[in-house]
Amino acid sequence: MKEAKPKIKINGKDYSATVEPRQLLVHFIRDSAGLTGTHIGCDTSNCGACTVLLDGKPVKSCTVLSVQADGHEITTIEGLSKDGSMDPMQKAFIEDNGLQCGFCTPGMIMEANYVLKKNPHATEAEIRKGLDGNLCRCTGYVGILKAIRSVQEKKK
Amino acid sequence: MDRLERFVKGMGQYVDDIKVDKPLYMAVVRSPYARTKINGVKGGLNSSDLEAALASVGEGAGGASANPAAHPIFAKGYANYVGQPIAAVFSEDRYGAEDALESVDVDYEPLKPVVSPEEAIGFEPIHKGMKSNVISDKMLGKDFEPKADIVLEDRLENHRIATNAIETRGILADYSNGRLTIHVSTQSVFSIKRGLCGTLGLPEDKVRVIQADTGGGFGLKGGLQPEHVIAAFAAMKYKRPVKWIETRLEHLMAANQGRGAIGKMKLYAKRSGKILGIKGTIIVDAGAYAEGLAGFAPGFIAHQLTEQYAIENGYVRALSVLTNKAPYGPYRGAGRPEAAFFMERMVDMLADELKMDDAEIRLLNASEKPFTSPFGMHIDASKPFMQKALKALGYESMKKRNAGIGFFVLVPGAAPGEGVRLEVKDGKMHVWLGSNQHGQGHDFFIRSLAREELGLSPDEIAIEVPDTDNIKAGIGTWGSRSAMVGGSALVDAARHIKEEIKKKHGKYSKKLLLSSNYDYSEFYKFDGEINSFGANLATAKLGPVNDPEVLEVRACYDVGRALSKAMVKAQIEGGIIQGTGQVMGEAVAYDENGQLLTSSISNAGVLRSTKAPKCVVKIMENPSTLPDKAKGLGEAPTIGTPLAIVRSLEHITGKRIRSTPVKPQDLS
Ligand code: FES
Ligand code: FES
Repeated sequence: MKEAKPKIKINGKDYSATVEPRQLLVHFIRDSAGLTGTHIGCDTSNCGACTVLLDGKPVKSCTVLSVQADGHEITTIEGLSKDGSMDPMQKAFIEDNGLQCGFCTPGMIMEANYVLKKNPHATEAEIRKGLDGNLCRCTGYVGILKAIRSVQEKKK
Repeated sequence: MDRLERFVKGMGQYVDDIKVDKPLYMAVVRSPYARTKINGVKGGLNSSDLEAALASVGEGAGGASANPAAHPIFAKGYANYVGQPIAAVFSEDRYGAEDALESVDVDYEPLKPVVSPEEAIGFEPIHKGMKSNVISDKMLGKDFEPKADIVLEDRLENHRIATNAIETRGILADYSNGRLTIHVSTQSVFSIKRGLCGTLGLPEDKVRVIQADTGGGFGLKGGLQPEHVIAAFAAMKYKRPVKWIETRLEHLMAANQGRGAIGKMKLYAKRSGKILGIKGTIIVDAGAYAEGLAGFAPGFIAHQLTEQYAIENGYVRALSVLTNKAPYGPYRGAGRPEAAFFMERMVDMLADELKMDDAEIRLLNASEKPFTSPFGMHIDASKPFMQKALKALGYESMKKRNAGIGFFVLVPGAAPGEGVRLEVKDGKMHVWLGSNQHGQGHDFFIRSLAREELGLSPDEIAIEVPDTDNIKAGIGTWGSRSAMVGGSALVDAARHIKEEIKKKHGKYSKKLLLSSNYDYSEFYKFDGEINSFGANLATAKLGPVNDPEVLEVRACYDVGRALSKAMVKAQIEGGIIQGTGQVMGEAVAYDENGQLLTSSISNAGVLRSTKAPKCVVKIMENPSTLPDKAKGLGEAPTIGTPLAIVRSLEHITGKRIRSTPVKPQDLS
């Protein structure tokens, strides 16, 4: 099989690996770069567990090929707490019970930060809409919404 | 680092995140037919390499040794549901494993399947060596001659649901120095260990099971499934670590599914509204093999059928029937939501017949004093709880908004108790609990109880990962049992240690504890009956094309004692959304050929944030007699929520609702 060698900047660091052209970005992130905070919860691009930022915009990394991300910049959950301290959204998720099993959490936080970045004054309905592609089976979204609202409040 | 901090930082170690040297990735060849003869299998690991049947372990498991309907690890001769494992293939990477599926040749000869459990009762047995597809059939209660003014009859149903934790099933099996080490996404390391030893005939000391961070279980992950056994077997055979991570599609087709129960109910009452008795038949769709809960479930549903009412007479037949579908298993609630649905639907029917208020008819039939049902369930007086709950839920004012209500009894799966190990060393207390966490927040109650009993602060406690090498006896997490018996085991063990210190030093202090070395294990035994009450209220509306929308769900549960209020609330909120999902669309659908129609987590109906209603939670605390005073909680919202929502939809539409999920045609 043909091989490809995408170069992808993840959380400010360059990664490059010899991969199959069909490799999904999520597998590049997890297997080639070894960053396992980005999860896989489905095979139909429904769950959002794999959400990362591609050049600053959220994508489901299971819907992108590694070769498509060649030369681009990715931010994953590991990129939010670089010096070891948590970003406000990560803290709020803990404080407001925004997670239980934690599996949806990395994707959820990536999406949540973007929703507020795009629209700092988002209403609850708008926030819900923003999270529509991220499934959580545990929290009923209640703690997640509370966490996002509290980050929003603090920024005001 | 704290568990939650690891998770928000992306540093969880779920099974797929665990790095090992040169793992083999496993993929499974599965039956494309619901019922088929298999005339031959060429390639992969298959029944010619491993001929064994699944040992029955986990929630509701019974002895399964000579069970003709035990699940074979690899199908041999025939397969009985779409998705049944036939062979397994292995490769250096996950893509390669998927590709290798093509290398296996299976010679199928499709047979006519049976999909409906009611039909399956009279259908030819799907397994050789069985006389019928009925795997359990018993009568509960006593026959009676009712002198009733009113007899109401209905057929009610909860369709099957996929458990759909966002993390699918997964296992990493490693074999070295003659010992098998298993990292697994599980609700019980003990079930997995006992199951693997039982199925593969391995001595207990040759198997170690460690819980990986587990991304939700909801019942499915309490037991052992064929893929676990295949991975373990392959690790031993190839002497390489073997990793299997389920795809979502596999999850939908081959992981145990819950609910899937029919209640044919008959209710006898006086014109006054007083219920005299119930009769009926409960039929559980066991799927293709009789595992764990399958035989037990219908009797369990029947056992609690009278719920919070003082109904004197009951006579119910409880059947579990094989069909050509994925095997049955627990889904959060596991029989409890079905029982409450069947009963409360009949009570609503009676309210409509008599044009009585929903609350009034319920209070009329409530128990005024402790009551033993005709099926042997013990409850306290329910009326005081119900009256308080109606107030707490704001029933009188919400009634005007077409609110529906529902009440239930939570019968927890607390027996036979739980194991715990406390080890004090290097100035810390290390805690292992037999019931492990996969989202319930055990950390919260462990910390609060350790503070209460021993005065320890969170940084003086290390909550350890369940690992069968480090804790010898335990059960697992299901049936709303963790806070009850897990918490009580911890309290009991803590008190034991405290006594030891007092004996030795004449007094207890945290300093004395942390400066010494202790290693104490116990199994806290519990086989009593501590049932609790719950109530829900819901409002809904109809959209432009009769599409229902749930506006608000309120919950009021007696949790005994809330060991952590925030976590109790969060657990309830999550459960409310699952209960809402059951009404709004969650189901695994099969066509008449047993082909799976559900192909994604979205069309399985898992609720999205835009569809989630507002949740209001009221906690009641009537302490239990357990050392930590807790009662069951985890399953309460999945029992009560559907009751209230369907009733609200009935008030809005005037249509009788008989099944979940509710379809648009049910409402017009
Ligand atoms: S794994 Fe990408 S959306 Fe589910
Ligand atoms: S916290 Fe478990 S799926 Fe969201």
